[in-house]
Amino acid sequence: MRQFEEDRKEAVEIAARLLLVSATTTPRVGGVGECTTHILEDECDIEDLCQQIEKMSEENTAWDFFKRDAVILRDADAVLIVTSLRSLTDPADINCNMCGKLTCEYLREEQKLPQEPGVAFTGPLCSFRANNISYAIDGIISMARNLGIDYGVYWSAGAAAMRMEIVPKATGFAIGVGISVTEKSPFRDIPLRYGEINDKTMNDRIIQRLWPQFRSIYS
Amino acid sequence: MAIIEMDDLIKNGLDKAVELMAVAAHNSFRFGNRNTMKMISVGNEELEQIAEFCFSLGDMSPLAARDGRFVMELIKEPAALLIFGDTRKSPYNFNCGACGYRTCAEMNKAEEVESLTANGPSCQFKNINLNIAANAAASLAWRLGLHCRVFSTLGFGARAMEIIKDVDLVISVSVSVAKVNPYFDRHKFWTQDYWDEIFKKEFPTFDRGFIGAVED
Repeated sequence: MRQFEEDRKEAVEIAARLLLVSATTTPRVGGVGECTTHILEDECDIEDLCQQIEKMSEENTAWDFFKRDAVILRDADAVLIVTSLRSLTDPADINCNMCGKLTCEYLREEQKLPQEPGVAFTGPLCSFRANNISYAIDGIISMARNLGIDYGVYWSAGAAAMRMEIVPKATGFAIGVGISVTEKSPFRDIPLRYGEINDKTMNDRIIQRLWPQFRSIYS
Repeated sequence: MAIIEMDDLIKNGLDKAVELMAVAAHNSFRFGNRNTMKMISVGNEELEQIAEFCFSLGDMSPLAARDGRFVMELIKEPAALLIFGDTRKSPYNFNCGACGYRTCAEMNKAEEVESLTANGPSCQFKNINLNIAANAAASLAWRLGLHCRVFSTLGFGARAMEIIKDVDLVISVSVSVAKVNPYFDRHKFWTQDYWDEIFKKEFPTFDRGFIGAVED
C-alpha cells in the first residue's frame, strides 16, 4: 500500500509535467507566446492556496462558491496555474474592440481597476491576449482526458495565486486547474452546500462510512 | 465492392472530420456550465468572400491581408472553416473585474461599442469559453491528422460580412487536407526582394553600426 501511494504521487508529478507540455504547445493568437504554467504539487502549497481562496470568498458576495472551490481543491493532487503575462500591460495592437475601447491606444489610456479586496483581476484587460489562456487550459484538459486524469478548472485558484503573488508579477489573468489521480474524482459529484458539508467536516465514523454513497446519489 | 476514388474519400473524410470537430467544440469544457455558443461551417464560396474582404483591408491590417491572400490559395484544395461566435454579455455573475467593471451587472449595462471585428465590452469568461471550444475543435483536428490553424482574422471577416449573424465575438478554425501543410511557413507569398525591403523598413537598425546611426 505504501508503495502504491508513493507511485501514485510520482505519477501525479509526471502527469502534471505532461499537462504543462500540452498547455505550452497549444495555439496562441498571432503566434506570440505569453502564457506560463506553474505547478503546485506540495500539499502545503495547495493548502496555502485553498486558505487564500477561502479568505477571498468573504470579499465579494458573488464569490460564495469560492468556499466550495477551496474544499474541492484540497482534494486535488496538484494544481496547475496558467497565467497570461501580456493581457494587463501589453495590448495586442490589432484594434479588435473585444474590450470595448475601439483601439488599443484607448485601452492603454483607460484607468485600471485598483488592486483591492473584491477585485480579482484589475481590468480592463486585453481580451485578445487573455484569450490565449483558453487554449492553454483546453490543452491541459485535452491531455488530461487522454491520460485518464481527473481535472477541474477553477478561476478562483488563479485569482488566489495572483493575490498570493506566487505567479509572475506581470500576470493580468490566471486560471487554475486541479488534477487528481484517485479512484473517485474529487471534481465531480459535488452536492449542494459542499463548502460546509464535505469529507473533512463529516468526521463522525458512521457518517464517514455512509457519506461517499450519499454524495454519489445526491449530487 | 465499389471503388471509391481517393479524391472522394478525402473530400468525404474532411466533411465528417468537420462534423466531429463541431461535436468536440459543442461538448467542450466551459465556465458556468452554459453553452451559448453559435457555430457554423462555411464552404469555398463564403471562404472566398471572407478572403476578399480580408485582403481588401490591405495596409490597414497587414495580418488580415496576409490571411485573405492565403485563403485564396487554400481553397484550391479541399478545406473548411468552422466559425464560432458568442454574445458579449455576462450571464455568470462572477464579478471578477477582468472586463474593467467591478460587477457583471455594470458591464452588461455599459454602452455597447460596435466595430467590424467585435462588439465590446465583453465578458472575459465568454471569450474564454468560446476559445476553449475553438481549441477543442483544433485539438480533434490535430488528432485526426488534419492540417489546422486557428484564425481570428477570418472570424472577424465572417462577422463583418454577416456570414455569422447575431454574435459579438468570433473565432474560427480552418482545416485542410492539402498535400503539403498550407498553414505554416508560407514563404511562397513573397519574393526575396519584397521580404528584404519589408525587413529593412521594420528593423532599420539591424544593418546599421549601432542604434541610431543614420548614414547620409
